[in-house]
Amino acid sequence: MSARERILARVRAAARHSTPPPAPFVPGPRRSDFGAFAELLVAAGGEAHGPFGASELPARVADRCRSWSAGARTLASAAALARLGAGPWAPVPEHDDPHSFADVSVAILCGAFGVAENGAVGLDGREARPRALPVLCERLILLLDTSALVPDMHAALARVSGEALAHHHFTFVAGPSKTADIEGALVLGAHGPRALAVFGVVG
Amino acid sequence: MSAALDRRALELLPRGARLGAHDAAVFALREKRDAAGTSEPDFEPLRDHARALKAHALDHLGLLLERFEARASAAGAVVHWAEDAPALNRIVHELLDARGARRVVKSKSMLTEECGLNPYLESRGIEVIDTDLGERIVQLGHEPPSHIIMPAIHRTREDIGELFARELDVPAGETDPARLTEAARRHLRAHFLGADAAITGVNFAVAESGTVVVVTNEGNADLGMSLPKLHIACLGIEKVIPGLGDLAVLLRLLARSATGQPLSVYTSLVTGPRPGAELHVVLVDNGRTRLLADDAHRRALGCIRCGACLNTCPVYRRAGGHAYDFAIPGPIGAVLAPALGGSAERRALPLASTLCGSCSAVCPVRIDLHEQLVAWRATDLPRGRAERVGARLAAAVLARPVLYGVAGRVARGLWPALSRRWPGNPASPWLASRELPAHPGASFRTRWRAKTSAERGHERSGVGS
Repeated sequence: MSARERILARVRAAARHSTPPPAPFVPGPRRSDFGAFAELLVAAGGEAHGPFGASELPARVADRCRSWSAGARTLASAAALARLGAGPWAPVPEHDDPHSFADVSVAILCGAFGVAENGAVGLDGREARPRALPVLCERLILLLDTSALVPDMHAALARVSGEALAHHHFTFVAGPSKTADIEGALVLGAHGPRALAVFGVVG
Repeated sequence: MSAALDRRALELLPRGARLGAHDAAVFALREKRDAAGTSEPDFEPLRDHARALKAHALDHLGLLLERFEARASAAGAVVHWAEDAPALNRIVHELLDARGARRVVKSKSMLTEECGLNPYLESRGIEVIDTDLGERIVQLGHEPPSHIIMPAIHRTREDIGELFARELDVPAGETDPARLTEAARRHLRAHFLGADAAITGVNFAVAESGTVVVVTNEGNADLGMSLPKLHIACLGIEKVIPGLGDLAVLLRLLARSATGQPLSVYTSLVTGPRPGAELHVVLVDNGRTRLLADDAHRRALGCIRCGACLNTCPVYRRAGGHAYDFAIPGPIGAVLAPALGGSAERRALPLASTLCGSCSAVCPVRIDLHEQLVAWRATDLPRGRAERVGARLAAAVLARPVLYGVAGRVARGLWPALSRRWPGNPASPWLASRELPAHPGASFRTRWRAKTSAERGHERSGVGS
């Protein structure tokens, strides 16, 4: 017998009960507007901007990029470029080696949806390419349709489809990278982005 | 009490103010957990639901494991099965060795701590860099983590400053957490970029989609998973849950119970390898099926490793995690250790608890931890001679009211001597950091008689009622 069969045999031998699954959890009512989302995002150390109309958005994002890093390497995904047009950013190059993105100072991507209960943004594997980009960059900007806000994690995971999962990863990002491992003191920028700015977009 | 735990707990004490700092830092997490729980109306119903869903999942674990394996394999992951710690270590080493991987970045995994993976790989010439900041600190200090989510909580910033001045590029005397973290960031970034492989733990595995879920605040697991071409994810078999709906419930509880955050910063759902890379998932038993077959303790497998029971435990807070000498300290560690721990000392950990029940009161999946400690105590745990004799003596005295009265008088007579530090006083280790409480002067029975006769006097004179 293989280890697999022995483990499964022991698990089966121990299955003496048959507790039924609980009925689906019914969450309490909750606001899911950009204001509620922004409050939680800011509490997690992130920045919330807007919401802005499509015409105003590019200038606002460009301002934020310039105030962070004049002339440094800023990359925007194809979806982000479709909203931003030309600006102080370049398209994410097709490149097999994620290590070539180690010098990115700002990455601009589109979030799939936002979660009002915790200020998290869902980042689809098809958008976050290469996978390393949103954690290697020094600062991360996420564009988020205000129509794509859900109240809680139940609604959020209901939106993570099999198709999204089929693209290797789906990541919830709730604020900049952080640690409190030295005496519980909060420090932003442990390994990943030192800052996260979410720009709400209407229309 | 476990004598070995007593001895190791005392190691925290000579470090002066550290005992108080440790207690305060840990209890601050408990207070954050309370604030997060009371501000979230769904919190208590979520705990009820989590308890029910974990009971259901554990009762159908065989089915869930097979489903997870099938779906993860269909997504391109390779699933391995390890019966015990040596098997896990061998599987991981073979995967690394076959690809010539020499430099490994690892994110937090209590399972690999339990199995001793790091020393196994290091003794075979593989460099393993722990990338969670707290874990890197204890790794540089050549000691194990002392908390499951805050591995270096027993260390002060001065400590860490000295360590970094010695090991990293940090000027002597640096104690600012931001600058120390920045130094670690530079140091670890180089290791991430140079790694041949990444090893991660797994917080949850979702059977319906074959997904492993990895949660961090630092982003270290995500960096590891996204740079080298080999990702090995290690998980205990109890981590498998049916679906994404169950994941939502447990994610809402995990960070709130751990640090008071509504969600950790990075929650990554990983389904199959990224293009051009490999994903290997190792399912580990290592004693878990033994717990599953034990009706009194199987519910402990519902644990989601949030650390809430550690943060509230009066023994953990004062003894520190190292006192337990087990990868998982605190109440949940004391419940798991007799089945997973191996050594006789670890099997005795259920004896080192107050049974106050605070752990059960905060557990997000409502595991009845203190009841489980009691249940272990009813079994044949390895007890020290002093404990066996003491228990027999106590039983004899408590069964005989006259003897009990005499024993009380003797104890009150000896109390002043016991309260002073002198060579040979058996209470000396306790007195190093604490005082014995003053005794009330008279026995409870004497005071009870005095109180009731006074009340009867009042009633007779009409003052009472």
